[in-house]
Amino acid sequence: MKTGIIKNKLMLLTMSLMEVSMLMGTAGAGTVEAKASDDVITLRVCNWEEYMDLGEWGEDEIINLDSGDIFGEKALYEEFEDWYYETYGQKVEVEYSCFGTNEELYNMLTLGNVYDIVCPSEYMIMKLMNEDMLVPYSDEFFDTTDTNNYYARNVSPFISNTLESHEIDGKYWNEYMAGYMWGITGILYNPEKMDRETASSWSVLSNPDYYRQVTIKDNVRDSFFAAVGALKKDLLTSSDFTSDESYSDNLMAEMNDVSKENIAAVQDYLQDVKDNVYSFETDSGKADMITGKVVANYQWSGDAVFAMDQAEEDDYYLEFAVPEECTNLWFDGWVMLKSGVEGDSEKQKVAEAFVNFLSMPQNAVRNMYYIGYTSVISGGLDGDMVFEYLNWNYSADEDESDVTDYDVTYFFDDDAEPGTYVVTTPTEKTRRQLYAQYPTEDVINRSAIMEYFDTDANASINQMWINVRCFNIEDMPVIGWIFIAAAFIVMVIVFINSYNKNKLLKAKEVKKED
Amino acid sequence: MNKNFSRKYLGIPYILFLMIFVVMPLLVILYYAFTDGTGQFTLSNIARFFTDPNTLGTLFYSFSLAFVTTCVCLLIAYPVAYILARSTFKSKRVIVLIFVMPMWINFTLRVTALKEILTMVEGNLAFHPFLNSVIGMSYDFLPFMILPLYTTLSKLDKSLLEAAADLGADDLRTFWKITFPLSMPGIVSGISMVFLPAMTNYVVLDMVYNSTYIMGSLIGSYFSAYDWHNGSMIALILLIIICLFSIFTNGQEEVDARGGSLL
Repeated sequence: MKTGIIKNKLMLLTMSLMEVSMLMGTAGAGTVEAKASDDVITLRVCNWEEYMDLGEWGEDEIINLDSGDIFGEKALYEEFEDWYYETYGQKVEVEYSCFGTNEELYNMLTLGNVYDIVCPSEYMIMKLMNEDMLVPYSDEFFDTTDTNNYYARNVSPFISNTLESHEIDGKYWNEYMAGYMWGITGILYNPEKMDRETASSWSVLSNPDYYRQVTIKDNVRDSFFAAVGALKKDLLTSSDFTSDESYSDNLMAEMNDVSKENIAAVQDYLQDVKDNVYSFETDSGKADMITGKVVANYQWSGDAVFAMDQAEEDDYYLEFAVPEECTNLWFDGWVMLKSGVEGDSEKQKVAEAFVNFLSMPQNAVRNMYYIGYTSVISGGLDGDMVFEYLNWNYSADEDESDVTDYDVTYFFDDDAEPGTYVVTTPTEKTRRQLYAQYPTEDVINRSAIMEYFDTDANASINQMWINVRCFNIEDMPVIGWIFIAAAFIVMVIVFINSYNKNKLLKAKEVKKED
Repeated sequence: MNKNFSRKYLGIPYILFLMIFVVMPLLVILYYAFTDGTGQFTLSNIARFFTDPNTLGTLFYSFSLAFVTTCVCLLIAYPVAYILARSTFKSKRVIVLIFVMPMWINFTLRVTALKEILTMVEGNLAFHPFLNSVIGMSYDFLPFMILPLYTTLSKLDKSLLEAAADLGADDLRTFWKITFPLSMPGIVSGISMVFLPAMTNYVVLDMVYNSTYIMGSLIGSYFSAYDWHNGSMIALILLIIICLFSIFTNGQEEVDARGGSLL
């Protein structure tokens, strides 16, 4: 991300140069070209790294479910090409590329890379909506009577309600965004070294008992959220606040508080956190947990699942806790870009079909199995395959004694009686992967979405982050100033020395010449 | 005539390369460094750099980190290069190879391994952030210091040393009066190969111990906040510092080269 910018600019330049030469080269054969491009539609997809099943599973990896076996042979986007041809009789080709962070994707888009459909997180989608860069989904896409509309037919009611109830600039999210994966944030911890109660609060990050043994995320949004949660702990956990009618709205307002006072308080708090934690990390936290370098780690739910799976392979058990104050509910979703599909209804149809293909229950399961995150697909009108997978993955063996009924009805069917969708699972699993992948309803109740901040708020938050991360010269010890003075004096001496030497040499040379 | 023409032709790829990968990015950096969000010319970015205690503090921190790293590298590399250059081992090349070989292994792997070893020794890396940063950087950049030193020292004219011995100088005196001054070009190029990357190469630090924040990380933070302008300004100022440094050390080298010829 950091070095990619200039490269991208240049790529843009070379690409446009190439296009010019191609145009000139093909000018004579223009009609032939046009016909060929009618035959194959190219869909340019940009997704997170490691965020789609790429197939090539081993023989032993088949998932046996009642409604059929699931096996990943080819990458999903390759299978989409076959499926689209079989279903609509049109050849398509997917150009699949990846990005590392939301900001990186945004930079790629603004520097001129063209994609048709991309998969950023909700706040970046809000930014793109706000900047009018997206194309809304067509009405046909939401028509549940068409059996090929897997997304509309199978998306979890919990997800669709959330997307329908949030808006920016008067436009609802679901018009522009089809969900892909979702999750929460929490604390992954080692139960042998930390108790669950301690881990269930954001203040664990500044807990002196775990000095230099906890990691925090190295990005401003996640850190900001955790800091607000810790700072407002008393308010957020008070019964007056939680029993209020508009608790959800109030919670979201509190967590997205970008007033000057709050940002200043967050800066102070994060400065304390910085002096207390092991490190700010983006990726290394999982490995540090598994190898036991740290005892707790601020983590996204999907990565927490991955880390717990990895640890289990070494007979080492980690658990996941969700802070009692609040958790950050996030979504990644597919959005279509104006720069790619606007005015091209054929291509838009392919893009929408791509989302539908990924939303087939068996493909959703494949993705979940492969990447560990939770799909927004619950199965709805096309059977209960996702729930079967949940059972296959988590249900207890019959001889297991310590089991718990784990209710996930809210996710699968919010109209159904509580208890309709229940997994009977070993109790320990309710503190591990299952809890991270499908959190309980009371966790969801205390979740808040983090908004996209406007330019001013964004600038002050980013400045706050730089202030936290940088070494402030005002904190410099006296020895530092002595060091600078010494270095300066040495440089001056060396310079004068070499200057004199030079003069001497010149004088000698002049003498020689004489 | 014909020959000249074809020679010119050979230069074209290099000119293209230079234009696209050296001149163009520099111009882009220059443009961003002196404009604000609306594309207007401004000096506020440069003013901000020199008034913000955070950038200055980070600059100082990176500077000291690079300084200490360079000293450590020099202290380790000089004896190694000296012994290697002076030794009469038949297996000399093999030993040089041992020091250079780590460069052939992917550095991700090396730094990850280093992290495990340091954890084993220290227990918790977070207690000594500066020390670990220095160790990580030194480990990564050591070969860049050894190689130029080894080359200069092994090219050293032995007859000068013999002459010194004949005239009654002891080993220590010979070293300070002859070997050390004559190895100055090697030292200078070693320093510039270690010092400059050590100020900005935050990838190494990220992998060893992610809480150390240096100039490179700061540029990264600005860029990920879509602030090209302040990020470019920092990059530009680092570039100027590096240029000044190079000019300064080149001058040194010249003097010493001439001093050598006068001997």
